[in-house]
Amino acid sequence: MTVSVMIVDDHPIWRDGVARDLAEHGFDVRATAADGEAALRIARTVRPDVVLMDLNLGETSGVVAARSITGELPGTRVLVLSASGDHSDVLEAVKAGASGYLVKSASVAELVDAVHRTAGGDPVFTAGLAGMVLGEYRRMADAPADGDPPPRLTERETDVLRLVAKGLTAKQIADRLVISHRTVENHVQSTLRKLQLHNRVELARYAIEHGLDRDED
Amino acid sequence: MTASPTLRDPATPLWWGTIVLRWVTLVFALAAVLVNHEGYDRPGLAWTGFSVMLVWSVVTTAAFARESTRFRWLVVVDVLLTCVVMLSSRLVLSDSQFAETGPLVTTVWASVPALTAGARFGVGGGVLAGLVMAVCTGLSRYTFDLDVARDGVLLTASGLLIGLAATTARRSQAALAQAMRTEAATAERERLARSIHDSVLQVLARVRRRGTELGGEAAELARLAGEQEIALRALVTTEPSRPAGGDADLRAALQLLATPRVQVSGPAGEVRLPAGTVDELVAATKETLSNVDRHAGPTAKAWVLLEDLGDEIVLTIRDDGPGIAQGRLEEAEKEGHLGVATSVRGRVNELGGTSTLETAPGAGTEWELRVPRPKQRRRGR
Repeated sequence: MTVSVMIVDDHPIWRDGVARDLAEHGFDVRATAADGEAALRIARTVRPDVVLMDLNLGETSGVVAARSITGELPGTRVLVLSASGDHSDVLEAVKAGASGYLVKSASVAELVDAVHRTAGGDPVFTAGLAGMVLGEYRRMADAPADGDPPPRLTERETDVLRLVAKGLTAKQIADRLVISHRTVENHVQSTLRKLQLHNRVELARYAIEHGLDRDED
Repeated sequence: MTASPTLRDPATPLWWGTIVLRWVTLVFALAAVLVNHEGYDRPGLAWTGFSVMLVWSVVTTAAFARESTRFRWLVVVDVLLTCVVMLSSRLVLSDSQFAETGPLVTTVWASVPALTAGARFGVGGGVLAGLVMAVCTGLSRYTFDLDVARDGVLLTASGLLIGLAATTARRSQAALAQAMRTEAATAERERLARSIHDSVLQVLARVRRRGTELGGEAAELARLAGEQEIALRALVTTEPSRPAGGDADLRAALQLLATPRVQVSGPAGEVRLPAGTVDELVAATKETLSNVDRHAGPTAKAWVLLEDLGDEIVLTIRDDGPGIAQGRLEEAEKEGHLGVATSVRGRVNELGGTSTLETAPGAGTEWELRVPRPKQRRRGR
């Protein structure tokens, strides 16, 4: 089964280049878009398996688009492909439901592998993302918000995340910690799930407190 | 930004001081003429002198209140005109009044020009005007006794002090303006570096990669793009000189070291540390990365991980190269090749931290640098 892809980037050279790379590797590139608003509109009709998205899109931010797409289209997964400097945006997009993050300097092989993993429902947990997630758990532990206690990492999850952030592959981590490859993946997924769940709870609480829940969405 | 500080005269409060003083001393002069005019030889000339002082007070108030009309020549005229009125006392006061050291027509009003000269010309102008007024006081009384000497010292000293204040104010304002320009330039440079790193470099990298794949003429273009990419990367990773004592974001500084072969990871937010600490840690990271280039081969990748533990900063630099055989490092150190390991350890020790190097043949190398966060600063987020 071919994986259908949509590419969102405001940089035409980049967009077309990625589209060609993915087409050459057997992906069905259904559509491209240059900004967040068009991305959401086109994704609603095209319903691609994977939306490959830069976050630096001007008007409607990539974070908002990523939240809307993952919220509205359960069959569509968002993979963030962004420049290295947009850390806060990347973290927000991942908390909002994006499945992973790849830097634009990644090789074609890494990109192809990442899109396949995203389509298969696995998170793309690069070293860069692991560093941010680690930092985010520490930030939340440091500045406890009112309301729900922030989620915490278990000791093993912290070990796994640190190794991912240092660039070890799942197999190398499994060898080093003497656990199975699958257990490593589970730990990684669990750290992301807790973060996304906490984010949804926080958003809902915020909406109720501010009376936003009475609106249609 | 508000109006540039260079446009405002920092001595403006001093000018306002001289204006107020001129009017207060004018009241003194009026009182002196009223009390003494019956004893004057020429009361008419005394009132004429006072009228000149009144008119001149109005003129200077109007002129010195605004920065654009604080003309040099007006200050010179101020000194000369005051001298003339003061010297006219020779004709106004009677001999008995001179004998009693009665007040001159200008009284303390004559102290103001020394102050305006100080405010306008600085120390030299203030002292010179003070001396001129002192000499005129002596000439007016036609004697140089203790009283005249005391007046002279006071006049010269006040010109000196106001001149000193004006000079100091102008100097510190120039220094402040310079510092603000430097800071703005540094911030702009950092912003540009990040922007270039995130856009232009990515496109160049892409052109290089794709061109090489296509071959032929495209490969030549790719080679050119590659050269520019390397040159530009070197340019943006050169640390700008920051004003001393400031804070800097270690996260952003490390990010500039990222290349397709070097992955930099860390918290999404800023990691603010004193600029000196940031510079040292960036330099240490650069050294270990250049070592990866030299010893781990052209295909080796490296990962930099920054962790902010609140009271401690942990920096890990790992590569997947061939690693270093047991004892090679000690051997090199014994032979006097101090090299990277010693330099990195030195930098980290200076910061009160610890460094460990883990390596084994075939398992790459991993540096872990732990540096305590300098006290009296909370985590800046």
